[in-house]
Amino acid sequence: MGMLMLNKLFNPASVAVIGASRTKGKVGRVVLENLMLDFGGKIYPVNPSVSEICNLRSYPSIDAIPERVDLAVIVVPAKIVPSVMESCGKAGVSFVVVISAGFKEAGIEGSRLERQCVEIASRYGMKMVGPNCLGIINPLAGLNATFAASMAKPGNIALMSQSGAICTSALDWAEERGVGFSRFVSLGNKADLDENDFLLEFAENPDTKVIAAYLEGVKNGPEFVKIARDVSLKKPVIVVKSGRTSAGSRAVSSHTGTLAGSDQAYNAAFSSSGVLRATSMEEMFDYMRAFSSQPLPTGRNIAILTNAGGLGILAADACLTEGLSLASFEEETIEKLREKLPDAASLYNPVDVLGDASAELYGYALKVVISDPNVHGVIVLTSPQAMTDVESIAKTIADLSPEKPLLCSFVGGTRVRQGLSILDNSGYPGYQFPEKAVSSMRALCDYRDIRNHVYDKPQTLDVDRSAVSNVFNRASRENRRLLGLESFDLLRSYGIPVVPTASASNAKEAAKQAEKIGYPVVMKIMSPDISHKTDVGGVRLNLKDAGEVERAYYTMISNTRRYMPSARIQGVQVQKMISGGIEVIIGMNRDVQFGPLLMFGLGGTYVEVLKDVAFRLAPLSKKEAHSMIASIKTYPLLTGVRGERPYDIESVADVLCRVSQLVYENPELLEFEINPLMVLPEGEGCVAMDMRGTIESKRADI
Amino acid sequence: MGSILISSSEQYSGKSSLCIGLAVILKKRGFSVGYMKPVGNLLVEVDGTLSDEDSEQALQILGLADDRHYITPVILTENLIEDALHDEDGHLEERILHAYSQIAEGKDAILIEGSGGIGGGIMYNLSDPHVASILHTRILLVTRYDSIQAIDRILCDIKLIPDSQMLAGVILNEVEENDLKQVREQVVPFLKRKEIKVHGIIPKDRTLRSVSISEIVENLHGDVLSGTENLGKLVDHYLVGAMEVNSAIKYFRRTPNSVVITGGDRSDLQMAAIEAGVKALVLTGNLRPSEAVLGSADEAGVPIVLVREDTMSTIERMESLIGHIRIGQNAKLSRIVELIEDNVDIDAIISTMDIREE
Repeated sequence: MGMLMLNKLFNPASVAVIGASRTKGKVGRVVLENLMLDFGGKIYPVNPSVSEICNLRSYPSIDAIPERVDLAVIVVPAKIVPSVMESCGKAGVSFVVVISAGFKEAGIEGSRLERQCVEIASRYGMKMVGPNCLGIINPLAGLNATFAASMAKPGNIALMSQSGAICTSALDWAEERGVGFSRFVSLGNKADLDENDFLLEFAENPDTKVIAAYLEGVKNGPEFVKIARDVSLKKPVIVVKSGRTSAGSRAVSSHTGTLAGSDQAYNAAFSSSGVLRATSMEEMFDYMRAFSSQPLPTGRNIAILTNAGGLGILAADACLTEGLSLASFEEETIEKLREKLPDAASLYNPVDVLGDASAELYGYALKVVISDPNVHGVIVLTSPQAMTDVESIAKTIADLSPEKPLLCSFVGGTRVRQGLSILDNSGYPGYQFPEKAVSSMRALCDYRDIRNHVYDKPQTLDVDRSAVSNVFNRASRENRRLLGLESFDLLRSYGIPVVPTASASNAKEAAKQAEKIGYPVVMKIMSPDISHKTDVGGVRLNLKDAGEVERAYYTMISNTRRYMPSARIQGVQVQKMISGGIEVIIGMNRDVQFGPLLMFGLGGTYVEVLKDVAFRLAPLSKKEAHSMIASIKTYPLLTGVRGERPYDIESVADVLCRVSQLVYENPELLEFEINPLMVLPEGEGCVAMDMRGTIESKRADI
Repeated sequence: MGSILISSSEQYSGKSSLCIGLAVILKKRGFSVGYMKPVGNLLVEVDGTLSDEDSEQALQILGLADDRHYITPVILTENLIEDALHDEDGHLEERILHAYSQIAEGKDAILIEGSGGIGGGIMYNLSDPHVASILHTRILLVTRYDSIQAIDRILCDIKLIPDSQMLAGVILNEVEENDLKQVREQVVPFLKRKEIKVHGIIPKDRTLRSVSISEIVENLHGDVLSGTENLGKLVDHYLVGAMEVNSAIKYFRRTPNSVVITGGDRSDLQMAAIEAGVKALVLTGNLRPSEAVLGSADEAGVPIVLVREDTMSTIERMESLIGHIRIGQNAKLSRIVELIEDNVDIDAIISTMDIREE
C-alpha cells in the first residue's frame, strides 16, 4: 500500500464525525471543534438526536449525508461501532478513524468487537485507524481529527505512536519548542492499519523529512524489516521501542495483549533495516529535532566550540564514547583562530573561546571552524558566565545557515532559556546538555552510513530436501520434539561440514566404530530426552584405544541411567576427536515477531559468562555474516593474538549463511544450535561437533 | 463362577484400569461380571458412609448394583489399624468371605482388585496373597515396566506368593516404545524360563496419562475466564512459568500439550504461553489477568483458569492429577479397553479364571 492509498486519509475532501456531541468537553464535541479550527473541507456531524451542532447541520446517520464521505471519525461507544462501520461501508466511506475505547484492551467482549470491525472494514475495502486512539493530524491540511487539546504546527516530522498519551505529550512538548509536524498518527490497537502502512505513506509523502515512532511492538516483523529497509534509504526512521526489560515487557503484554518480543530481536531487526533506535522518548525528540533542521554530515569528524573548558571536555568524552572523532584542524584554521582569539584560548579541538567571549567572537570562531574541510559537523556549547550574552550568541548562530550540521547546547537554567528559544524558533535544535547534542550528532552520522548502505542479497544454495524431510519425519514418527546428534543429516544436507560420526548400541560396536574412525575419539550418549549431555556424564573425550572406548561405554550408560532414569537411551555416538581449533557456537531462536534470530559467539565461558554474542536476523548475506562475526568483543581471538595463526573465519561465515538458509527455509525448526563448531586454522575449515534443535510438533494434540 | 485377583508391585501400576477394562471386555463377551476391592485403602465418604475411591470409580463406570459394603468389606480406618496393633481379631476374613459370597450370587466372573502393593496389608493378614488364598482365587500381577529393575520387582513379588500355582501370570504395563523390542525378545522368554507367564505387554499411552482441562478446572475449583470452547482438550504435562520470558517461550514450545501454571500478574509469561500454543493457563493466587491478555486468549481459544490457591499448592494438586489415571471420561475408558484388547491375552486370562459358562 503506497501513498495513493493513504493520501485521502490525510487529505480528505470531507469528514464526518459520528457521535458528534453538543455537550462541551465530550470527546464527540472536542473532535468536531478541532476539525472546525482549520480544516478547509466539508465537515458533517452525525448524531441522530439533534439537528445542528456548532452551527453545522447534523445528520441522523452516515447514509443521510448527500455526498460520499472520505473520512469518518467514530466516537460512539464500542458496542455500536461495528454497526456504525457497517453503515460507513455501505455509504462508501474510504477511511475510518475509530477513537472509541473498549476494544481488545478491555477484554474478551472488546476483542470480539475489534475482530468484527476488522472483518467489516475488509469486506467494504475501508481502512481503519485505531480503535482506541487519539486520532490523526495533518497540520498542512489543517486537519485535526483528534480529541487532543492542542494542534500541531506544520513541519517536516511524521510521528506515529502506539500510545495516545505519548501523542498528547509530544504535541504539548512540540508546541513549546516550536517543532512542527507533517503527519501525526495515534496508532491505537493497530487492528487494521499499523506501523508498516504508515511507514510507507510517510516515505512517499513529500512534506515529510523525518519519520519517528513510539512502538510497543510491531505487528508483522519480517514485513517491517523489508519496508523499513526501503524507507530508511530515503528518510531517517527513528523508533523508540519500549518493553526492553522484563518489567517493561510485562507491562507491554498487560497493556496490549501482545508479547513484547525479545529485545535482541528488535535490536537485530532495527540494525539490519536501518532504523535508528532511540533508547528514550527524550532521545527520540532530540534526534527528531536534529534531523528536522540539519543537513547530513559527510563524515564523523566533529569540531567542538565552547566558552567553558569543562563543557568542552564532557562533549569530547561523549564524542568518543558515541563513536565520533574530534576533527584535526588544518593549519590555516588554527592560524585564523589565533588571529582573533585571546592568548589563553584553546585553538585546538575542542576550541575554547573562554568565558568572556562575545557573540561576535563566537560567530567568528564558528565560521572559521565550520569551513575547515576536515570538520564534518560542529557542536557549539555555551555556559552563561558573567559576561556571556547568551541571546546574542543564539542570534549569531541563527543567522548562519551552514552546509554542515550544527548542534548547540546551552547549559544552564533561566539564563539560557531565552537563548534556547531563539534557537528553537530559528530551526536550530538547542539542547540542555552537551551529551544530548553529541548523541544527536552521532545519530546524524549513523544515518549517513545507513543511507549509503548497500544491502547484499543472501545467497540461496542447492540443498538436499529429502534428507531434511527424513529427519523431521523420523522425529515426528518417534514423537520427538528434540533433535540431537542423530539429526546430523540436517547439517550434511545444507553442506555444513560435520565431524566423522558413527552410532553404536553396544560396547563392542562402539569399539569397532572407533577403530574405523581412528583414535583418539569422543563418545557421546544418544538420547532424545537428554539435551545437556555433559550434565549427566554423557560425553567422554580423548579415548585412545578399544579398551578405553568399551569402559567409557559402560560407565556412560550406567551414569546416565543413574542421573536420568527416565531417559530413553538409544546408544552412543562415536566421533573423531578434533584438536587444534577454537570452539564457536552458532544458534537460532525463532522470535515471535521477527522469525529466525541467529546467534554467534565463542564457545564455553565466553557465551555463558561474558554474554559476548551477536544477534542477526536470517536470511543473512555473506557480508552480514562477516560483520556479525567481527562484532563480538572476543573477535581478536579468532583473528589470532600474539603471533597465533588466524582461524578460518571465512568458513565460519559460510556456515553461518548455511545455517541462516536452513532455519529460514524450515519454519518447523523453532530452535537450533551447533555447539560447538570447531574452527580450524585458516584454510583448514571448520566442523560441527554437536547439534541440538527443537521442532514444532505437527501432531501436537493428544 | 470364576474369579481372579489383580495385584501389583506398587501403587499406581494400573490395577484399577485393568480391572475395569477386563470387566468391560468380559461383559461384552456375554458374562455377568462382579467387582470387589476387599481391602479399601483410599478412603472417601459417600452418602454418609465410608468407601474406597477405586471401588466408587468401578461402581460408577461398571454400573454395579451390589452394595458398596460388599464391594469393599474392609476399610483400613484408624480404628482398624489400632485393633491390629493390639492383636485384636476383627474377624476380617469372615467379612471378606461373606461379602464375596454375596457378590458372587448370579455372577459368572468376579474381578478382585488388590490393595496398594502386593505385600500391603500383611500386618492384618490381608496382603493380596492372603486374600487370594481365602477366596481360593489366583493372582494376576501388574507391573509398570519402567526399567530393567521391573524384573527384580517381579521376582521379589512372587516370593510373597506361597504357592506357585497361585500366580496366574504377569502383565507388563506402560512399556516405553524404545523398550518394547527388548521386552518381547528377551524379557518374556527369560520370565518364561522361570515359569512366569506374561499375559500382556501394554505400551505407554499418552491419552491415558493425560487429563482434560475441564477436569483440572473441577479439581482446582477454578473459574474459567476464556476459551470455554476448548475445555475438552487433553494435556499430559504441566509447566510452571516463573522464569524470564524469552527462556519461557523456549520451554513452553518444547511441551505444547501442557497447561502452564503462573501468576495472574505475569502477563508476559501468559502471552508467551499463548504464543507457544500451550493448551491452557492456570493463574494462581486469584490474580485476574489484564483484560488485553484475556482478549488475546479468547482470540487464540486458550482457556484461562483462575484459582485461589498459590502456585505451590496448585502444583501439588496438578501433580496428583496428571499421570494418575482417573477414568473420568468415555474417551479414556474406551482407550483402556482398546489397549487391553490389543495387548493382553484375554483368552488366557479367562481360562485361568476358570469361568464356567452357563
